Amino acid sequence: MIWALVLCVLISSCVKDEPLNAECDIETVSFHLSQPDDVFYSATDTLQSVSSTVSEIIINVRRKADITALAPVFKLTEGAVVSPASGSVHDFSQGPVTYTVTSQDGAYRRVYQLAVKPVAQMVNDTVMFDFEHTILSDIGNGVPYHEWQEQHVDGTLSTDWGTGNGGFALTAWDKTTADFPSVSIDNGMDGKAVQLTTRSTGALGTIMKMPIAAGNLFYGFFDLQKAAMDPLHATQFGKPFDRKPIHFTGYYQYKPGDKVTDRTGSVLDNQTDSASVYAVFYRNHDAQGKAFVLDGTNVKTSKQIVAMADLGYVPPTDSWTAFDVEFNYTADLDLDLLSNRGYSLALVFSSSKKGDGFIGAVGSRLLIDKVRIICEKEDVKK
Amino acid sequence: MACTVMFSLAGHAQQCSLRDVKIDARLGYNLGGTSPVGLPASIRELKSYELTPSFLFGLDAEMSKCGRFGVLLGMRFENKGMNVDARVKNYHMKISKGQQQMEGQFTGDVKTKVTEWMLTVPLQATWHPAEAWRLRFGPYVSYVFSRDFSGYAHDGYLRVGSPTGAKVDIGNGPGQRGDYDFSSDMRRLQWGLSLGADWKFYDRLGTFVELNWGLSGIHHSHFKTIEQTLYPLYGTIGLNYTLR
Repeated sequence: MIWALVLCVLISSCVKDEPLNAECDIETVSFHLSQPDDVFYSATDTLQSVSSTVSEIIINVRRKADITALAPVFKLTEGAVVSPASGSVHDFSQGPVTYTVTSQDGAYRRVYQLAVKPVAQMVNDTVMFDFEHTILSDIGNGVPYHEWQEQHVDGTLSTDWGTGNGGFALTAWDKTTADFPSVSIDNGMDGKAVQLTTRSTGALGTIMKMPIAAGNLFYGFFDLQKAAMDPLHATQFGKPFDRKPIHFTGYYQYKPGDKVTDRTGSVLDNQTDSASVYAVFYRNHDAQGKAFVLDGTNVKTSKQIVAMADLGYVPPTDSWTAFDVEFNYTADLDLDLLSNRGYSLALVFSSSKKGDGFIGAVGSRLLIDKVRIICEKEDVKK
Repeated sequence: MACTVMFSLAGHAQQCSLRDVKIDARLGYNLGGTSPVGLPASIRELKSYELTPSFLFGLDAEMSKCGRFGVLLGMRFENKGMNVDARVKNYHMKISKGQQQMEGQFTGDVKTKVTEWMLTVPLQATWHPAEAWRLRFGPYVSYVFSRDFSGYAHDGYLRVGSPTGAKVDIGNGPGQRGDYDFSSDMRRLQWGLSLGADWKFYDRLGTFVELNWGLSGIHHSHFKTIEQTLYPLYGTIGLNYTLR
């Protein structure tokens, strides 16, 4: 204490007044409704947190919900202001509403689009993922990387796939789009395909004890906020899926890299890298009714899991090779819950199986195209 | 004031011969910090300041004492170290390593450890207002032979690029925090001004206080990772013993 005082005197000027906040985020969106069940599939959907990397917020609601007069309430960065105001009523049937948030210090602003989308039940028995829709994103450093989108029944696109690209981007200021672990390539089996490559994260990544980044792609969301501190929780696996999946098929190519290294960068002798390709179907609310998402800590072990389709060992091959894995159910499906979006499907592809623990071989490469989820036929379901 | 002393010294020096040379040995402790002059508002709080082995061993020779004035040349072996943990808000950081870099606004805690073992040569004008008292003022030059400036950003978050960029949580354990080491970006040569007072309280034994104000930043001028230039600002307390 005395020392701090001496130091303070020495540096001739003590701590100045606190500067105003420069951030301008929408942190959460909530809806206060008398009958939330009329609008949302689940009561927990009435409060949703918004990741710092998201500027287009999509709120999924029941197909027949009345969305002509909704009043979203926002939690903002302290001191920030939003226009139009939090709690103001808008007709979301006319399309997304644009909100502008200005920081407390007035120097920064972010523009958000909020869309409320009625979700129709899936109609096709086979759900196709062809990886034809990509966009370029960046985390704020101007280094663009690919993100994969899916086209929905109403024709709109949304970023339903996550990758670790945002985490890689943290140290990739000198990189180009093609250098990222997860990249869209043009010469796929049919149109574009996904190329997943285990990459070195360089000297900075080594400092962070994350010397490699496996190429990964998963049906779900990558929470960049947790990428540095808690990477296993950054991979939020799965999106709601209202049909019963029975087969997981697709095409792949795989070539393992030369030297498998561990988290410290040491070479692990006599080891060959291997890929992972698997699908998990699980209940997205727990016994207490709390929303649940699988992550890197429990993606294959959670009690919420009802079925898995794991390709297991992925034999190396340099030509497009078909795979077909049957879902192995370990629990009965609640069909009512199924049609109310109470189950989520996670599809996971990685160029290094143990990439979540930063073990893998730089150069391991997995190509993926034409993935299909074959579902039980509607008449069988009934 | 300082100039007056120097000028009057120069005037006296021409008239005086080397009447006597007085030699003092010093043992001291440096206390202070490596800090921007005038803290930016983004530095909110010094959460901890730990003592480091910042000792000073020195020999001074005072010459041409004529009347109350003299000139002093010294040689010190010393460490100007610190170990602080500061809370920052929206603090601009840029970490470079080879071709790679990471830049953004950090809010959270920053731990910094500084060690600078150096050889310092002070050249000072002296003035004796009374028999037991001596005041000293003048420049010093230091050669830093052991450099360490390292630490980590912890328990907070980084906004990549700007306050609207992606938010990334930063933890505390290894691999969860942002370690940095800017030791090799430190200057070897430092200089500054020194103001001191010696008081002889028993026979040949005395005590002294000193303020050493660095006028050169501790890092090379092309080093921009830390926005503010950091200066070594240290006070010294200790004992001196007159050898001759």
